[in-house]
Amino acid sequence: MATLPLYIVLSSADRDKMQLASMIASVAAVSERPVHVFVSMGAIKVFDKSKSGNDRYSDSAFNTELCDKNAPDPIEMFSQGKMLGDMTIWACSMVLDVLGWDESNLVDDLFDGQMGLTKYLSDAEEGQLMTL
Amino acid sequence: MSERKLIDARGSFCPGPLMELIAALKLMQLGDEVEIYSTDQGTAKDVPEWCAKVGHEAIESGEKNDHWFVVVRKAK
Repeated sequence: MATLPLYIVLSSADRDKMQLASMIASVAAVSERPVHVFVSMGAIKVFDKSKSGNDRYSDSAFNTELCDKNAPDPIEMFSQGKMLGDMTIWACSMVLDVLGWDESNLVDDLFDGQMGLTKYLSDAEEGQLMTL
Repeated sequence: MSERKLIDARGSFCPGPLMELIAALKLMQLGDEVEIYSTDQGTAKDVPEWCAKVGHEAIESGEKNDHWFVVVRKAK
């Protein structure tokens, strides 16, 4: 049986959620499961290229422990998953519009482009969708 | 002749050891082996599971002193 593609919608800048999302996305992508990430709402601010390190994330219940133990940064894990596996990452065109941003505001070499929700949901009908 | 490479991923958190393994496998020849050390207990089960899914061979795994190890043969 063919593996169902995994569709992950990111809506939060919360470090815990971003950490888990990057783990799920990268492991699935390197396990021969296509992964398509849609970054919307507050999650887009994590990918603001003018920010760095932990300043990217909202505080969360597990953030201190992740930082103290030098857990891998979610941005790096998304990059690694894209490099080693089958993963695309799309910026929600609506939130870019609200912020007055374009793709040049986002971390370099990570996004495949911007996409509308209707197209993403249509594509996701063929896979499994999760929201974090 | 096949070779065996060692990856010391002790101290790296999940899924770091798996990612290091995959990056190494991409550069290896068919039949080559790689042994990975990890202090993440999940690696001992995750790596054989990943191998079974994608078609590589986990030929040995266990615990040594302060870490777990898995030996993988590149099979595709």
